Amino acid sequence: MSSREPRRYAIRVRGRLAPRWAPWFEGMALVPQDDGTTVIDGPVADQPALHGLLRTISDLGLPLVSVTATDEPTL
Amino acid sequence: MGPLLESKYRRPARRPGTVARARLTGALDGVLRAALTVVSAPPGFGKSTLLADWLATVGEDVAAVAWLSLDERDDDAVRFWTYVVAAIRASGAGVGDGALGLLAPGSPSAEPALVALLNDVGAMPRDLVLVLDDLHLVTAPEVHDGIAFLLEHRPPQLHLVLATRVDPPLSLSRWRARGELLELRSADLRFTGQEAATYLNGPMGLTLSAGDVATLDGRAEGWIAALQLAALSMRGRDDVGAFITRFAGDDRHVVDYLTEEVLARQPPDVRDFLLDTSILERLTGPLCDAVTGREGGRAMLATLERANLFLVPLDDRRRWYRYHHLFADVLRAHLAEERAASLPDLHRRASRWLAEAGDLVAAVDHALAGGHVDHAADLMERGTPAMRRERREAELGRWVRSLPDEVVRVRPVLAMAFVGALAQVSDFATVEQRLGDVEHAVRPDGGAWPEEPPPGLVVVDEEGYRSIPAGLEVYRAALALRRGDLDAAAGHARDGLALAPASDDLVRAAAGALGGLASWARGDLVAAEAAYVASVAGLHRAGFVADVLGCCIALGDIRRTLGRTGDAERLYRWALDLTDPAAPVRGTADMHVALAGVLLERDDLTGAAGHLDAARGLGEHRGLPQNPYRSRVAAARLAEARGDLDTALALLDEAERLHDGDYSPEVAPVPAVRARLRIRRGELHDAETWARHLSPDDEPTYLREYEHLTLARLLLARRDDAAGLLERLRVAAEQGARTGSLVEVLVLQARAAQVRGDMPSALGVLRRALGLAEPAGLVRVITEEGPPIAMLLRALPKQDPAYGSARRLLARLEATEGGPAPRSLVDPLSDRELDVLRLLGSDLDGPDIARELSVSLNTMRTHTKAIYAKLGVGSRRAAVRRAHELGVLPHRR
Repeated sequence: MSSREPRRYAIRVRGRLAPRWAPWFEGMALVPQDDGTTVIDGPVADQPALHGLLRTISDLGLPLVSVTATDEPTL
Repeated sequence: MGPLLESKYRRPARRPGTVARARLTGALDGVLRAALTVVSAPPGFGKSTLLADWLATVGEDVAAVAWLSLDERDDDAVRFWTYVVAAIRASGAGVGDGALGLLAPGSPSAEPALVALLNDVGAMPRDLVLVLDDLHLVTAPEVHDGIAFLLEHRPPQLHLVLATRVDPPLSLSRWRARGELLELRSADLRFTGQEAATYLNGPMGLTLSAGDVATLDGRAEGWIAALQLAALSMRGRDDVGAFITRFAGDDRHVVDYLTEEVLARQPPDVRDFLLDTSILERLTGPLCDAVTGREGGRAMLATLERANLFLVPLDDRRRWYRYHHLFADVLRAHLAEERAASLPDLHRRASRWLAEAGDLVAAVDHALAGGHVDHAADLMERGTPAMRRERREAELGRWVRSLPDEVVRVRPVLAMAFVGALAQVSDFATVEQRLGDVEHAVRPDGGAWPEEPPPGLVVVDEEGYRSIPAGLEVYRAALALRRGDLDAAAGHARDGLALAPASDDLVRAAAGALGGLASWARGDLVAAEAAYVASVAGLHRAGFVADVLGCCIALGDIRRTLGRTGDAERLYRWALDLTDPAAPVRGTADMHVALAGVLLERDDLTGAAGHLDAARGLGEHRGLPQNPYRSRVAAARLAEARGDLDTALALLDEAERLHDGDYSPEVAPVPAVRARLRIRRGELHDAETWARHLSPDDEPTYLREYEHLTLARLLLARRDDAAGLLERLRVAAEQGARTGSLVEVLVLQARAAQVRGDMPSALGVLRRALGLAEPAGLVRVITEEGPPIAMLLRALPKQDPAYGSARRLLARLEATEGGPAPRSLVDPLSDRELDVLRLLGSDLDGPDIARELSVSLNTMRTHTKAIYAKLGVGSRRAAVRRAHELGVLPHRR
């Protein structure tokens, strides 16, 4: 089953994040959006890594808007 | 565990400059009516501040307050609960001493301590509020299980308050449904417009219009940290209106934006200080000086605190602080962006200062964060002996895993520490491989162990280097034991003990215990005894009391089997003296149970009962894993000695259900103990069912000795031939110097000879048994045989060397017989014997009886002799009288 776990995520948070926060989200791109949100986009090793990312977001006080697996096979 | 950081369980003082929030402190009064209070919100919502404010309103007569600030390192059940107990002890609640004794480092479970704690709290005259702050930092399921356990079993006095960013996994809905949950969430904690206005225009000293406040609060959404940052940015600013407009129109992350504003407005020295020291988890003046390379750190910290720059004091004397988490994160982001090149130096300086101050864990963290892996490895190696003493193998393992493999490979001492961590998590395949790596690194050609580490290897801890040869043997003994190769295990353990430096208590203790276990299972009890003595001595010197008690169970058993009952008793009493009666450690109950066993063997039933009561009084949580079953076996034996065979049987059934051998060899299996009781109750069929896996022709081995002795008892009860089996058991017990076993064999041999009608042999063997039993303090093994053995004892002539001993036993037997306990036949009569006995009560003579039963006269006489022996009588008339007394024959009208 693990091979079917999504490996790429786009995590949208409210507020624009300066590039200096990139080290907090290693290997992921911080993409500011026009609507004042930021999409944190990139590869995620596994589910624990994803939860670690979400925790970092919570620790920074960033309101979470959405989490999307971007490599989910389309059915 | 390391030194407890007092600041962790210091309850934060009310901070000046906070807004009184009556709607929330009023709601928090519900804490004292709720089982559980959860204050759940993202960082910067004022959770801790609010709780501190409310706690200041709780009268000391109403409740004691224990506060614990958690951090990531508390993600370990024993460490976590040790801090909780420390916090409760510091709260003035007057409880927790008992629990502390049950939280030895390396304890397998915190539950015994929690039981003790709950019992103590349940007896408190006032309530106890236990606050766990920043609980989200702890994720270990064992910790959450423990919290759930605490809640499930809480006495009404206990009120748990959890402040967290993440809801704890505690099935909150159930507590909510029961009406025992109080919740405060971010929606509750956000500043209302009114609170924002009071805060900004009050403590923060601004004069903002209602419109400005509304704009700010709208952008910050009541987030207190953001409003605080905004206030700091506006202080002393002329263009407050413009600032507010700009802020409201910006879509950057609020904290990010505002921190930048705040930082931009600080003088350069303050700004530098903030950035440089942001790498520190905890700040104190001299540490800040070391990191910044400047002086005046202490004064700077005081200035920052006065300026409300997110500095949280950690003690009353204003010596230790930390930055607010959120603020620290932003500072670190700026530091990494602006001065990434200075990071290794900052961490190196922090690491050096912390190592000198004795906080090795933090020093290692900084060395690793700065990329100084060799320095980190040096620190780890220096810290290894203390970590091992404190049973922090798991932490050691995490440390070593954080180093590149090539660094570990050239550091044999550190590699051995890693092996210890691997062994603790039962990763034995890797243990084996790592042991080979270490050995190969130090002596690639397999020659003698070099006194000095060969060139190319790094050794910081020289004593640790000298312990490696012994350590290798100890781990190899453990691996062999796991494979079931007892000979190899005993050999490696022996070598380990021989190679261990006299000063390394832990290696000696480990080698001793492993060797003891292996020798015990092999039946070499003399070697096992010596090995366990070494282990107990090492553990005692290292101060591991609970482990000393654990080893004493084994060592006492071994001594008793060797017939050294007195030495066993002295050992148990010595071990009990090691424990603090105010805070008994686990294993205290086991020592009482063991003493009960010794006293029972001496026929001191009152003394035995006293110790069993003492063990029960301590509670199961003060027993080691074997105690539930061992205490019931001991209680069964006491019940049996008192003649209450039904209770004994019920207790043995319970013992079997609760059985946990805890890696000890199974020398007296509960089913065999129960088979003995069945035999005594005359339920031979049940005993026969049990005995199916055994044969009288089996070659005796020590691990089967107890079972074979039980089989011999069954054969005797059935009047079958047990002579061959008993003789082989005797030889084996003698060869193994197992005097305790030997006495039992001899007693059974005497009984067998008696049944055969061979009185000279019976008396000869009995004489030998008595000569061994009396100095060993063994009584019941003889008196248990009841009337038949009494007959033999009476038959010893006055001039016999064992005569005095026999008389003393007879006096005991008679005292027991006169006692109130209901008696039963120790050795039940067979159906055929009962037929004979019934006819003995008639007027028929011998030949008539034989004819009646269609047996030969000789057979009839054999039966008669057996009946006399079992009833302990010498004549037909006495046999009939006794049979009536015992209820074997119906009472005469």
